[in-house]
Amino acid sequence: MSDHSLFGPTQIAPNCEKTVKQGGDAAKPFDDQTAPKISLRNVHKSFKGRKVLDNISMEIMPGESHIVIGLSGAGKSVLIKCILGLLRPDSGTILINDEDWFDMSIEERLRRMPCIGVLFQGAALFDSMCVWENVAFVLLQQSMPRADARKQAEQMLEMVGLPDIGDKMPAELSGGMKKRVGLARAICHRPEIIFYDEPLAGLDPVMSDVITILLKRLHETMNVTSLTIAHNMKLVQAFSDQVSMLYEGKIYAQISAQELQETKDPLIRQFVEGRAEGPIRFGFESDMSGQPGANDKEEVI
Amino acid sequence: MLILQSIGAATERLAHAFGLYPLMMAKVLARMRKPPWFFALIIRQCEKVGVQSLPVALLTAVFTGMVMALQSWVAFHRFGAESMIATVVSLSILRELGPVLVGLMVAGRVGASFAAELGTMRVSEQIDALWTLSTDPVRYLVMPRLIAVIVMMPLLVVLADAVGMFGGYVISVHVLDQNPHTYLRNSFEYLQLIDFYSGLLKAAVFGFIIGLVSCAEGYYCAGGAAGVGQATTRAVVISAMSILIADYILTAWIFQ
Ligand SMILES: Nc1ncnc2c1ncn2[C@@H]1O[C@H](COP(=O)(O)OP(=O)(O)O)[C@@H](O)[C@H]1O
Ligand SMILES: [Mg+2]
Repeated sequence: MSDHSLFGPTQIAPNCEKTVKQGGDAAKPFDDQTAPKISLRNVHKSFKGRKVLDNISMEIMPGESHIVIGLSGAGKSVLIKCILGLLRPDSGTILINDEDWFDMSIEERLRRMPCIGVLFQGAALFDSMCVWENVAFVLLQQSMPRADARKQAEQMLEMVGLPDIGDKMPAELSGGMKKRVGLARAICHRPEIIFYDEPLAGLDPVMSDVITILLKRLHETMNVTSLTIAHNMKLVQAFSDQVSMLYEGKIYAQISAQELQETKDPLIRQFVEGRAEGPIRFGFESDMSGQPGANDKEEVI
Repeated sequence: MLILQSIGAATERLAHAFGLYPLMMAKVLARMRKPPWFFALIIRQCEKVGVQSLPVALLTAVFTGMVMALQSWVAFHRFGAESMIATVVSLSILRELGPVLVGLMVAGRVGASFAAELGTMRVSEQIDALWTLSTDPVRYLVMPRLIAVIVMMPLLVVLADAVGMFGGYVISVHVLDQNPHTYLRNSFEYLQLIDFYSGLLKAAVFGFIIGLVSCAEGYYCAGGAAGVGQATTRAVVISAMSILIADYILTAWIFQ
């Protein structure tokens, strides 16, 4: 573990195997390359009677980079939160590495968690900690010495184009910088499955390109499996193996990036070209009846 | 109509709270048996609780002691029993005023900050982020705060008791011209250990109430910045009310 650079020649074993082996009752390392990393079967989720996810089924294979597109409010973030166990689906099964995490105790789930990295839509940095402590959070919790953790965090920060801000507090950063720190935090512990919730939102075009290249590199050098929510067609083209379009709670289409460009389907065309007029109905999206309420409280972690 | 409406709203809040607090408590209890405990975080929270509340607690105590001396002088002067002031002051501070007033102050100071901190972390998805970074938010955020306030309340109350009795002494001796030796003797002569311990027991219970209510309000907060504001207000109001109710129950129980 001396060379921490993702771009360096050494291939670093992802965190997952290490942690799975540690756990006494945990399963053996998951190395089946033919079974899906993540699979959803008939997942339903509604808020106060309003269906947000309506019978979603999908599979993400090892090494695949899967992009989910859809109008804002379509339930993309809810989809990720269900997979992560932050929201409990009303029905359906979600398997990660062929295991149903909702069947497990909190401890078992937490023990498996290091194989997952998440970039939240709003970055969700801990504002009581400085930037490098945020990035190195998992390493510090795994009691890596502070100096080592800091070195690794600084390398991650450099990779996302933010050297020398390790000692700043999150409140001092711009939105785009927070997003990049969030990205560094998501990948710092070398997860093998990564969720990116709108990784390019709030970035300027140049930085968008830098991050797109970075995601692609990560994907190629570390063999990570990823689920990305994105609106940026350049990112979709550069980065995706499969694209799912979420519309009115259902997966409207699941196609390759190539097919996405060529499709004649008017609804997808409208989304890809970003036009106001077309078959997309907005009533669904602007319906605000699904505000968080008291009866949703029990399902959060 | 307005009264009915506000009773309805209060009932709704109560029902909401009665669901929330046992839920939080169950989560904490389920984690009591096994580590990790995050001792460093417990220590840090203890420091924060102490630093935040010590000045207000002591100030409240000293003035309460002073007022107690003046007020009881008015009463006892009427039938010439001024020598009893000392006993009344120390008894009421130890048994009642120390824990209750410090509890109310800590509810306002610490309870509000717990609810606001956790609420902000909830609505900005920091609690979700903790979970995805392999850390149990209940262990990491809630338990250290709950433990800290339960541990610190009795300590604060001991100091407040001392300062409050000192306030009573200063006023009696220097303003009301009581004999200092008699005053000191009367302060302690009629005390029993139970007077002191019952105050500390109350303090720990009030600490538990403050910690549980304000952590639950923050942890289950929803609805953005406005939601955080509401959670904070509720944390303070419900903690304060519960402290007064629990105080009656505990007092009645100790009397038996
Ligand atoms: N915790 C929650 N409680 C109630 N409603 C929610 C909650 N989270 C999301 N929603 C609703 O679900 C819908 C989808 O939200 P989201 O997944 O964030 O959209 P997006 O596709 O833009 O990421 C929104 O209409 C939102 O109001
Ligand atoms: Mg979203």
